[in-house]
Amino acid sequence: MADRAIKLLIIGESGVGKSSLIRRFVENKFDDNHDVTIGMDFKSAVMCVDGTEYKVALWDTAGAERFRSLTPSFYRKALGAILVYDITCRESLVKLEAWLAEVDSYSDNPNIAIIVVGNKIDRERVVDREEGRKFARKHRALFIETSAKCDQFVSDAFKDIVEKIVSSEYFGNGTSSNGLTIDNEQDIDSSPSTCYC
Amino acid sequence: MEELLNDVVPQEDLERFERKYQQENKVNGEVSIETKFEYACCLVRSRYTNDIRKGIMILEDLAHVHPEGKRDYIYYLAFGNARIKNYTEGLKYCRAFLDIESNDQVRALEEHIKKQSDKEVAKGMAVAGGAALVLGSIIGLGIAMARK
Repeated sequence: MADRAIKLLIIGESGVGKSSLIRRFVENKFDDNHDVTIGMDFKSAVMCVDGTEYKVALWDTAGAERFRSLTPSFYRKALGAILVYDITCRESLVKLEAWLAEVDSYSDNPNIAIIVVGNKIDRERVVDREEGRKFARKHRALFIETSAKCDQFVSDAFKDIVEKIVSSEYFGNGTSSNGLTIDNEQDIDSSPSTCYC
Repeated sequence: MEELLNDVVPQEDLERFERKYQQENKVNGEVSIETKFEYACCLVRSRYTNDIRKGIMILEDLAHVHPEGKRDYIYYLAFGNARIKNYTEGLKYCRAFLDIESNDQVRALEEHIKKQSDKEVAKGMAVAGGAALVLGSIIGLGIAMARK
């Protein structure tokens, strides 16, 4: 059971810091230059939750408009979506509504976990923390504010969503078809394991 | 990078954008840049070499006629060539990109291509070395036999 795979998508408008969050989390690096992502990028990380290791696949999507029609297939089999906006740009939060609609229409997982991330708290704020939180609450999503540049709460964002995914009652059911090997002798009915941690 | 290169486009996506491409071609006699690009992006992510080659041709054409989108085309040209093990071409496009813009994503692709290409060279050398060894022993055996 060492190979527990979790696919996460990172979406949001261009320039909000999607790739920077991933780079900070995976490589602990930050570059002030804004490398505009082309199409789709991929990085992976191993995360440990309650002593179990999970291989987290991070699919970084281009925010640019011209790739919008090409990304739907990447929503498939995603267990979680990280929706990023920039707290110095209200428009980027408003646009998350449209990104959420994309998740709704393209995701094949009705129980997909969602976290709303307000990035760039090292800069002068335009969007109140409460506004972001309200938006997240309305959509039953987790919420956090981060700074990829100053490494504030970045790993918490990833930890929060992965913990939510692995503690969900649906986890395991959804992934068993794509990678997890299930032994022939199923003892599902004999001992329903309930986790209260 | 490996995961990205191994990720195959879903067949229905490829067919959808192919239909769009053909439809535009039929109705307007030409295809919009957007549609060409969508179709090419699907083609270079196909599992079939011929599709990838076709995608590369469309992207080469786009890079000429639409310089504004050049960075996207060059990236996918490197990507497509990497997928059909055309490492020299792939590296050429990576370098062309990195000459203009420093970019993490392209650097990762470049490193991957270099690694793969080195592997191929090493494999080639191993095969050539093995062949030389076999040939050498045959000749040696021949000489030994002739002496007897």
